[in-house]
Amino acid sequence: MATYEVFLKKDGRDEFRHAGALDAANDDLALVLARESYLRRAEGNRLWLVRRDNLIIAGEDFVEPNTDKPHRHHDGSAVAAHRKATRESKT
Amino acid sequence: MSRAWSDIEAFEEFLDDGGIVEVDDAMPAAYRDAVFNFIEMHANSELMGGLTERDWIPKTPGLRHKMSVLAKTQDEIGHGHLLYMVAADLGIKTRRQMLEDLFAGKSRFHNVFHYQAKTWGDQVAIAFLVDAAALASQQAVFKNCSYGPYRRILKRIISEEGFHMRLGEDRMMRIANGTNAQREMFQESLDRWFWPALQLFGPDSKPNDVLLRWHIKSERNEVLRDKWVQKFVPLLQSYGFTIPAPNLSWDEVTRRWDVGPIDWEPLKRTLAQGGPDSARRIGEARKNWEQTSWVRDALDEQVPA
Repeated sequence: MATYEVFLKKDGRDEFRHAGALDAANDDLALVLARESYLRRAEGNRLWLVRRDNLIIAGEDFVEPNTDKPHRHHDGSAVAAHRKATRESKT
Repeated sequence: MSRAWSDIEAFEEFLDDGGIVEVDDAMPAAYRDAVFNFIEMHANSELMGGLTERDWIPKTPGLRHKMSVLAKTQDEIGHGHLLYMVAADLGIKTRRQMLEDLFAGKSRFHNVFHYQAKTWGDQVAIAFLVDAAALASQQAVFKNCSYGPYRRILKRIISEEGFHMRLGEDRMMRIANGTNAQREMFQESLDRWFWPALQLFGPDSKPNDVLLRWHIKSERNEVLRDKWVQKFVPLLQSYGFTIPAPNLSWDEVTRRWDVGPIDWEPLKRTLAQGGPDSARRIGEARKNWEQTSWVRDALDEQVPA
């Protein structure tokens, strides 16, 4: 038996989304189980299965937000203040 | 699940109903080509823009600005990577072919990256005017693009371009609040960059433009260009700068700005790789690609496909 992660997508604007997981004896059976477990009511019309063994999972420390890199952000507050002052001087 | 359409009429009906095409659908070849060419040009422009930005890392004044230029360079090169992936998945050219065509001068990228940024003022003008123009056209594509993978990638790109634009306006405001010499420098940059930025939107859309008919783009060039004019003319004036358009006029009735006739010759020249800085830009990018070939070779040996 292997564990598979299930991803579904509906036609249209949405992206593929993680729907859940299942255990199956092989890839073909996994597809059948995914269809019967996750796709009974048109929850999607595209299906991806990935064996959990094949997932590469990052550690928590690795994805910790780069809070030490404030130069990657800009709140634009000074500019917003200028624009507001310009608007107000017109009225 | 891959979908197929009996003919182009059926496909167009699907698009007109708001249908979104996915990479494994059996889309008509002409649609595949149109989407591919559009995304390839976008990817090339991000890469060439990133290289321009990189040129300025050592020359940027002050640590604060320097760090933000670093962040922006990383963003632009990253956008290139995201887009080359989406383009390559269409199966027309590999990523390597796209890059080789770009460095051989065979493919297109935005007109603004065919000019040289001579001063820090130019760099600020690019960050403010050009990034705003690029963002406006990307937002118009994102709003209704019929090609799903491109639309999803644009979501991320747009949020980062918004950061670049805020940064550009902040830098311009610092210059506007600076010395006379600084204000003169920026005015000269504005004189150089106002028209190329405006021309980024391209000439008026043709009535039979397939990009519009197939909902790859959702807005006509002239509409986007006019929105940019209405927003940026008063904004630049509010910082005390002069718009370099001799025929600029304000219509009291329609309450709109008119910049007068637009000379499209410079745009045509840049798109034929004949812009003032095209040869140097492409040459530098090619040299960079050649000098880094050992990295790609080493990776190919380490990680067999």
